[in-house]
Amino acid sequence: MSEWLQHAIAHADSIQDGFADQRAVSLALLKDTKWPSRKTEAWKYTPLRAVERSSAVVKEESPELAPVDVVGLDFLELTFVDGQLVSMPEDLPEGLTIEMQESDLFTTIKPERHIFGLVNDVLAADVAVVTVAENVKIDSVLRINNLLSNGAQGHIRVVVELEAGAALKVVENAEAHGATLTTAYTEFLIGVEAHLEHYRFALQAGDNVALGGSHFKLLGKATLNSSIIGFGSDLQRIDTDIIYAGEKAEAKLNAIYLLDGTELFDLHANVEHAVPNCTTEENIRGIAGDRSRAVFNGRIHIHRDAQKTLAELNNRNLLLSDKAEINTKPELEIYADDVRCAHGATIAEIDKKALYYLQTRGVSRSQAQLMLSFGFINELIDQMPTAALAEWVRPIIRDRFAQMEVK
Amino acid sequence: MSNENVLLSIKDLHASVEEKNILKGLNLDIKPGEVHAIMGPNGAGKSTTGYVLSGRDGYEVDSGSATLDGQDLFDMDVEERARAGLFLAFQYPVEIPGVSNLEFLKVSVDSQREARGEEALTSAEFLKLAKEACKQVNLPVSFLKRGVNEGFSGGEKKRNEIMQMILLKPKLCILDETDSGLDIDAMQVVANGVNSQRDSERSFIVVTHYQRLLDYIKPDFVHVLADGKIVKSGDASLAKELEAQGYAWLQTEPTEDEIED
Repeated sequence: MSEWLQHAIAHADSIQDGFADQRAVSLALLKDTKWPSRKTEAWKYTPLRAVERSSAVVKEESPELAPVDVVGLDFLELTFVDGQLVSMPEDLPEGLTIEMQESDLFTTIKPERHIFGLVNDVLAADVAVVTVAENVKIDSVLRINNLLSNGAQGHIRVVVELEAGAALKVVENAEAHGATLTTAYTEFLIGVEAHLEHYRFALQAGDNVALGGSHFKLLGKATLNSSIIGFGSDLQRIDTDIIYAGEKAEAKLNAIYLLDGTELFDLHANVEHAVPNCTTEENIRGIAGDRSRAVFNGRIHIHRDAQKTLAELNNRNLLLSDKAEINTKPELEIYADDVRCAHGATIAEIDKKALYYLQTRGVSRSQAQLMLSFGFINELIDQMPTAALAEWVRPIIRDRFAQMEVK
Repeated sequence: MSNENVLLSIKDLHASVEEKNILKGLNLDIKPGEVHAIMGPNGAGKSTTGYVLSGRDGYEVDSGSATLDGQDLFDMDVEERARAGLFLAFQYPVEIPGVSNLEFLKVSVDSQREARGEEALTSAEFLKLAKEACKQVNLPVSFLKRGVNEGFSGGEKKRNEIMQMILLKPKLCILDETDSGLDIDAMQVVANGVNSQRDSERSFIVVTHYQRLLDYIKPDFVHVLADGKIVKSGDASLAKELEAQGYAWLQTEPTEDEIED
């Protein structure tokens, strides 16, 4: 066990709440888990030095922090500062409840293999449990804010259950003010014919370490539309799991990452087609500039009984610098014979025909290249179902992209 | 300037694609305000002419010259030729998802205005112009917000080309088989757009395989391009003759299909 981990979990036993039994199981698992090294497949390209060196600590007292405004959206805010839940929405719409008590779902959707997920099981002091009652469709967007002050370590955990026929929009929003370390995990159970629209914004660039995951279990005819948008940082790792537990469920995952400097961003997306007749579409697009490094691992596991699965995984990357690095690995494991499954991973070049077309209209070659590179990302922003979120994030991405140099 | 009265002057142009000679001594002079139709069989070099003049990668000039307003076209980058007043309406306009049509049009117009030392238009000024241009080619204004040509039908793409022409106000427009894949109604919209831009200064090269477009866009001259050079020139009546006779009288060797993409 690493020194960091030993130190981090030293006081784990002191959290006594309704989740104590599950926390104890995770703690035992964690003590049996080897600290990842270069030889650990899931961490092959993502060294944990930044975690080991982090001086961020769990603070006794935290400053007041407020999440960023998004024009045109009035969120239901669930705000954590330095890992402590500081505010809950005051007036909840009927059919939506948020509680801080035990839940049978806690630790059941997120797979055990995520080492920092186990850390989070043990250390997330305030576990929020969100429930949308049967057939209730919530119009407002629930935003889970993970705000961190300089020097802070924070561990947040939210469990969300959509009962049959329910609908909810959830934004996971992380903001780091300075050198911080966080683990942030969410577990979602999407009930029969329920619909979840999900966003994970990890736009905290800089000298912070963020480890987290969004994990989804879909029951019959459930639908998921998820968008993950990340910048790199000292270390930014997101694991997502989409687990089909009922037939005719559908999930769409769009992810964008945009890295500069010496940033690191790592997305591991795992899809478990355990039952027949489910459909997955994944579009993952990244741009890496300067000396940054992006890691993408997209695993689709089609179990023996999962006939009539449709699964598509597309990962396209653009390098802006010859010192930037992209490690992409699609992994298809198919044990059923009647499925349609396609994947592609490319380090893209700018489309020459499109470049020529723009130039014939008088656009300079360099500007045309920028427009096309941004267009490649923007295409996925266009697909975000809540337009106000797209309009909010688009200029943020555009500004970052404009600052990145081609070298 | 060699001849102030000539807008485009092509002299003994030889050009090749993938080491295959396509243009074999093309000569053409176009004065301001003139409309020239270039007709001819497949593989004659009609599309190649537009690509070579606009500077597409892979289209090599082997010898000869082309000047626009006295400036050597082959000495300029693709975007510089556009800024000098050359416009090519594509036979197959490119789809660019993620780049909105409006942004594309604004950046194009801004680039050209900047090159001419003119002030950039404000977004509001530009939007007004773009909406008018949309209306003129019968495209719903919502097309401005869509990705460039993304999911447009063949006819919508062609109308989008004409809209760009209207906004960019070039000196010389090359329409590369703009009529292909259009029904009569769509062709009329396109032709009206073109005709609205005709004046004593602006010149056109209308490249077409068929005579029917020339019923709507009346040319001053018609040229027959065969095997890389102009083999016959005449007035609008030549197009009618070709319609009646076809191209068999050219007695050229059968050529391979022209390289389009």
